[in-house]
Amino acid sequence: MNQLPSSMSVLHDAPSTVSTDIALSVRALDFWYGEHRALKAIDLDFPRRQVTGMIGPSGCGKSTLLRVLNRMYDLYPGQRATGEVVFDGRNILSPGVDLNVLRSRVGMVFQKPTPFPMSIYENIAFGVRLHERLSRADMDARIEDVLKRVALWTEVKDRLRAPAAALSGGQQQRLCIARTIATRPEVVLLDEPTSALDPVSTARIEELLDELKQDFTIAIVTHNLQQAARCADQVAFFYLGELVEVDSAGQMFTAPRQRRTQDYITGRFG
Amino acid sequence: MTSTPPIALSDAPPRGWQTTGLLAARRRLRDRLATGLSWAATALVLVILASILLSLLLKGLPGLTPGALFRSSAPPGAHGGLANAIVGSLEQTGLALLIGTPLGLLGGIFLAEYGQESRFSTLVRFVSDMLLSAPSILIGLFVYLVIVAPQGHFSGFAGAIALAILAMPIIVRTTEDMLRLVPVSMREAGMALGAPRWRVIVFLCLRAARGGVLTGILLALARVAGETAPLLFTSLGNMTWSLNLNAPMASLPVAIYQYAGSAYDDWVQLAWTAALLITAGVLLINILVRFGFRRGT
Amino acid sequence: MGNSALTGFPQTREFRPMTGAAKTSALSDTLFSTIVRLSGLLILLIVGGLIAVLCRGGVAAFHAFGAHFLVSRIWNPVTDVYGAAAPVFGTLVTTFLAVVMAVPLAFGVAFWLAEMAPAAIAGSVATAVQLLAAVPSIIYGMWGFFVIVPLMASHVEPFATHTFGHLPLIGTLFSGAPYGTGLLTGAIILAIMITPFMCAVMRDVFVSMPAVLRESAYGLGATRWEVMRQVTLPWSRQAVIGGVVLGMGRAMGETMAVTFVIGNSNRINWSLFAPGNTIASLIALEFPESPAGSLKLAALLALGFILMTISFLTLAGSRMLLRRKPATSH
Repeated sequence: MNQLPSSMSVLHDAPSTVSTDIALSVRALDFWYGEHRALKAIDLDFPRRQVTGMIGPSGCGKSTLLRVLNRMYDLYPGQRATGEVVFDGRNILSPGVDLNVLRSRVGMVFQKPTPFPMSIYENIAFGVRLHERLSRADMDARIEDVLKRVALWTEVKDRLRAPAAALSGGQQQRLCIARTIATRPEVVLLDEPTSALDPVSTARIEELLDELKQDFTIAIVTHNLQQAARCADQVAFFYLGELVEVDSAGQMFTAPRQRRTQDYITGRFG
Repeated sequence: MTSTPPIALSDAPPRGWQTTGLLAARRRLRDRLATGLSWAATALVLVILASILLSLLLKGLPGLTPGALFRSSAPPGAHGGLANAIVGSLEQTGLALLIGTPLGLLGGIFLAEYGQESRFSTLVRFVSDMLLSAPSILIGLFVYLVIVAPQGHFSGFAGAIALAILAMPIIVRTTEDMLRLVPVSMREAGMALGAPRWRVIVFLCLRAARGGVLTGILLALARVAGETAPLLFTSLGNMTWSLNLNAPMASLPVAIYQYAGSAYDDWVQLAWTAALLITAGVLLINILVRFGFRRGT
Repeated sequence: MGNSALTGFPQTREFRPMTGAAKTSALSDTLFSTIVRLSGLLILLIVGGLIAVLCRGGVAAFHAFGAHFLVSRIWNPVTDVYGAAAPVFGTLVTTFLAVVMAVPLAFGVAFWLAEMAPAAIAGSVATAVQLLAAVPSIIYGMWGFFVIVPLMASHVEPFATHTFGHLPLIGTLFSGAPYGTGLLTGAIILAIMITPFMCAVMRDVFVSMPAVLRESAYGLGATRWEVMRQVTLPWSRQAVIGGVVLGMGRAMGETMAVTFVIGNSNRINWSLFAPGNTIASLIALEFPESPAGSLKLAALLALGFILMTISFLTLAGSRMLLRRKPATSH
């Protein structure tokens, strides 16, 4: 937990190995939409400061799992999860968890860019103010820092007060990532973050993931297998609510252990 | 945590689960306060509704006797009833719907099917919406000046016209909305069979949208059945039994207005009973519409 | 006819326009579209007639009193001198107070319905609120007269006078005899009447906000109130204002509910407990005693014209606010 990012460089240089330092651990997780069981007995570990890619055909449950990890499903009556998700020593599915704190520690970026109806500056400051009281100068510094991290600073530094909706789609998505990391989460969840973007913007976000994993544990749901191969250290394949296979990216895409995985990644279904 | 909060993300200590800071406490307090006030507002509104319904039931039910239903108005102490007001209300709202419904349907058809984006239809839609929310007492004044004054006498007919003017924009609005929900493919399929446009609209589109259109008519009925202000200057009210649409005519809302303000206990009792009847009718229509509609969709 | 065997249909129809059935069908189409257009025209004629008739009827009053009619507080049938100031004042004050009370109430209920209603009862409560909107206005008037007025006279007004009456400046607002009827009571009844309308508009627009936007705000760790205050409200601001203005328009033109509880007095008084009048309640009360052709009738029609102008302007404003979609994020 107290390791400095620089000490992770060994792992960063060797993406094929999967770390044993676990940030988030899912055990025997079942998920229900009313009567429909959408996830079945999932066991999955998310190694700290690595990218875990989640793949599988539509409706396989990968996005559902993501929404369990910050308990976003709580907003909707009729959805419930059983089992365990251990984060920082606690089962976050237990009733005593403060959801506002949990969501600030496990941030989320959505499929479509979701800028709030306010300025670029305020979009980021909004989340920060929820959890920290910063002086004006500190806030400015924080905003500059996160915008630089998402490589947006040079593009927007002269119009921080302009409405965020005026940015292009790719810029908006980077802003949303900046907004999420500005609250200093430990885990960042990304739900198909590039599916609404053009190839150039997609490439920039993928580069960004490599940077971000020096500081954050990342879980990314993607439809794009190449993206998973490029970005992820560990890949999990879901099918019909089951976790079929978890492996390092190298192993998964060259020599999958399961027949169903092989069929999916070679394009036989999905 | 030191006095200066960490700016760069990487040198931040883990946040942990603690929620004890001043900021966190203030946020939680605000959220609790807003949540509590919101619950209170909802409770207050429900209490008001309950109070209205309860006072209507408690004070109106004891007066709901055969005498009240089957006798006509009478002077205080003479055991009058609401029969003439009930019949007057039925007659006037019935006639109002008879006039307002076809006109409203035609207006809705015009806006949905013929008026695409023309300036004339935009104007009609705008003006119809104005009429929808215009103060109803002004409609009463209008009908008085246009019909009652030239004729020289108040009449149930004038009252029905005033109510029809109120009903029409409601029906226009719902008819247009419902017709717009009918898929284009249905229109095309009808036209492809060689049917003239008006037959496609009346026998296919209107038929496909009939549930919603009927809802609009019923809501218009519920709205005009309780209207008082436009009747004051048009049908005026009548203390005797009268079915004549060409003469002043009683109605439940106007009877409430006359009786409730009086100093006689039996008249006030009649006002409560009339209020119960009219509210029960109006709410019943609304509930029926709501549940019927829910089943339809 | 050679291929009739293939389909079994006699091949008699040909493309020869405007004969027989085709002609009637084209004619019926023209006829129908004309009728339909005429019904649209009828709506314009009704509203145009309404404006013209009130305008013409009120002209006599403006002739007699000039622009002074608008600012004069006198309403004296004996001397046949009339001014619009008192009812206009009453209309504006009751409407303003009603909106001030109704907005937080409607917002609270809409917030509850959109964000915290337990699934099991959300539907019933929403229906209950809509039923409140369907209750005829005369029922509100009667309920106010028999339930709220005694409550105001025996509890609220004495308490308010006792607590605030001696304060400088605002003390005047709470002075006077506790009749129970008056401007404040009228405003309370109006507030109750317009709350369901405002609430329905607010709830619809809150619910229509894209779920992802809501989720992103929650995803940053925002509380329910923070999401509402900082994301939902800014997003839906325009429609919320439109709904408030719509409710305001209703409050202004309401007649029966007000007539029962406002006390009906043509005076301008700064006390909220003082009896007052609104344009609509004055018309309802005085119209039966205004013979055709009299100056009093002209004054009432002129008041009607003023009411129509204010409320049409308000409604036009609300419609513009409600029609334009709130700023979305692509």
